[in-house]
Amino acid sequence: MAVEPPDQRRAFLKLMTAGLGAFTAALAIIPGFGFLCGPLGRRTGRGGGNPLRVAAERDIKANRPMRVTAVGPHEDAWLRMEKVTLGSAWLVRTTEDGPIRAFSTICPHLGCGVDFDESSGKFNCPCHTSAFDLDGRCLGGPSPRGLDELETHVEGRDVLVRYQRFRVGTSKREPIG
Amino acid sequence: MSADGAPRKSRLRDWLADRIGLEELGNTIRAGQVPGGASLWHTLGSVAAGLFVLEALTGIFLATAYTPSVTGAWASVAYIQDQLTLGWFVRGLHSFGSSALIVIAGLHLLQVLLFGAYRRPRELNWMVGLLLFGVVAVFALSGYLLPWDQKGYWAKLVEATITGSAPVVGTSAQKFIQGGTTFGNTTLTRAYALHAMALPALLTGLLVFHIYLFRRHGYTPKWSLSTEDAAARAVPAWPDQAFRNAVVGLLVWGVVAVSVIARHGAPLESPADPTSSYLARPEWYALPLFQLRMFFEGPLEIVATMIIPGIVTALAFALPFLDRGATNRPHDRRRVLTAAGLGLLAVTVLGVTALAKDARNPVYAKARAEEKTRGELARRLALKGVPPDGNVFRNDPTFHAREIWDDRCAGCHGLAGAGGEKGPDLKDYNSRAWIRGFLINPNGALYMGPAKIEKGMTAVDGTPEEIDALVEYVYAETGAPDADAARAGRGRDLLSPKDCDTCHDMDGEGENDGPNLKGRGTAKWVAAVIADAGHPLLFGDRNKMPRQRNKLTADEIEEMTKFVLALKGK
Repeated sequence: MAVEPPDQRRAFLKLMTAGLGAFTAALAIIPGFGFLCGPLGRRTGRGGGNPLRVAAERDIKANRPMRVTAVGPHEDAWLRMEKVTLGSAWLVRTTEDGPIRAFSTICPHLGCGVDFDESSGKFNCPCHTSAFDLDGRCLGGPSPRGLDELETHVEGRDVLVRYQRFRVGTSKREPIG
Repeated sequence: MSADGAPRKSRLRDWLADRIGLEELGNTIRAGQVPGGASLWHTLGSVAAGLFVLEALTGIFLATAYTPSVTGAWASVAYIQDQLTLGWFVRGLHSFGSSALIVIAGLHLLQVLLFGAYRRPRELNWMVGLLLFGVVAVFALSGYLLPWDQKGYWAKLVEATITGSAPVVGTSAQKFIQGGTTFGNTTLTRAYALHAMALPALLTGLLVFHIYLFRRHGYTPKWSLSTEDAAARAVPAWPDQAFRNAVVGLLVWGVVAVSVIARHGAPLESPADPTSSYLARPEWYALPLFQLRMFFEGPLEIVATMIIPGIVTALAFALPFLDRGATNRPHDRRRVLTAAGLGLLAVTVLGVTALAKDARNPVYAKARAEEKTRGELARRLALKGVPPDGNVFRNDPTFHAREIWDDRCAGCHGLAGAGGEKGPDLKDYNSRAWIRGFLINPNGALYMGPAKIEKGMTAVDGTPEEIDALVEYVYAETGAPDADAARAGRGRDLLSPKDCDTCHDMDGEGENDGPNLKGRGTAKWVAAVIADAGHPLLFGDRNKMPRQRNKLTADEIEEMTKFVLALKGK
């Protein structure tokens, strides 16, 4: 080192300093980046899964869809709740004593809540005017698929629904989580 | 902008230089000289600034997952610590980095003191430096509270109370810090806003001013060099000093990171419990103050908490004007350096005394060990998710049993070994000692004495060997794996000679005055007693204990059985 001219030594020092600085910064930033990107490979919300009682069977009238809420246990990051509203569903039957079907109220287009319009007898999305019939089929508007049907069955006098969320904006139905 | 074929890169550079002037800024930054040559002494300020950047970065990362509320703070920190990717590492860097920052900033302060770098014309920068040190201290104190665990809560509670003891403004100041009359949500939101928004802005501003003033007046060379010598040996700060800064910075970073890995991140105690009697201790850097307080009791406490620290702070700020030495040579500043040295010695002695006292104190060691167990349990339970009220111990299977106990059992049964109100005390239930006590004094305060049950059993009388054998027989019936079968057999043979069999059958079928002794004390038997102690095989018509069969579910009876059986050995 002693025989090298100062300029050459300093050029090397500059390079080393920049390198060490960048190395130190990277050592701090890379784990932080891993921390921030952790949620990409992690499920933070957990709930539903099991059938939940949402209504009494005799309350569901023909062609008069009823909006019900699914209340059950839910996990959200560090929080675990025993009873929380997971979401809501439309219960539909087309004949008295006929089978009951359940549709998620979440519009498959961009996730707004779908309303039922009694005068036209159709489901309408208030945000972007998608419309659906009582079978959940898309009648018009931007929705890429019909309403998402939820598993449902009658147990004794109760209607049970297995509440689930689906990815919106795709033509294929894909459960989340 | 010339069109003479200059490469694009330099055209872009010209364009930017024109508009931003970065190059000039860079030249200004690089132009500094280090009179007297580069040195390790001069690295401390830069390393402290670097550590602040590390704190800021990791702090932002942590803020993405932290929630400042009484019910959510501990839960979210436990989530960061035990569930998020590399959360323990990022949180560890933030916590240990703050300790490193205090150490390095303290060394920086001592170096400035030793070199006389606080003297004319650098008086203002010395004061700004002291302010920065104060801001770092408030950073540390406010950050300590945020996890809302036992040590953060109690340390901060003591500090708030000390604030409240200040004359005139104390009460208002305490309410201001707490955001109300008591510790709660607003204490946390205030500490968080201070820690994550106000202090970073304040520190950044002060730091920029600090560095600006430093650039204006430059490095203070070692006292032994004359001005001419120092000038002759001057080197450019970039890269000569910068290289040393980078090496020391990386070393300090390495020490912090290795400590984090070695200890798997910063500690997290169990959630703050205002009803507990926690042995509060401040973080290491506040231990000298903690120890100082020990020498001043009662109304004099304020001497240690405010007057002495206040005087020292005032003296520190006034130092540049008090120091009348002719040169920077330590010889010319004997008085200042002696005072500073004694102060440092006092701080060290106080801190070491506090540590040594606790190290010798068995009460402290026991409290720490209990908290460690409780903290580990809380974190294990938090993996299942924390309930909305923030009480993670609800996840403990015995929590529900304990609630039922308080609700339905504790009215009659004691658990303290001091006797129940209307039934046997169940502390250490089914241990040999409990059984022996029952046999020799069935109507004692710990056993059927306070019970409403129609008394009938007479005390067992016999030689010590006979009593031992009978105890062992009853003990063996509980299913205890360490029962001595031979001795229990001898006990069984004594049941008839001792007239036990007048009231007790032991075949599991006979319904007599006293409980059938077969399998007495097993889980099945205890569950049967809880369900209905008046069953003919048990206490029959004599029983007065309320039947729980229709009040508790089968699962709850099983939980209570486990709870009762777990009392043995407690």
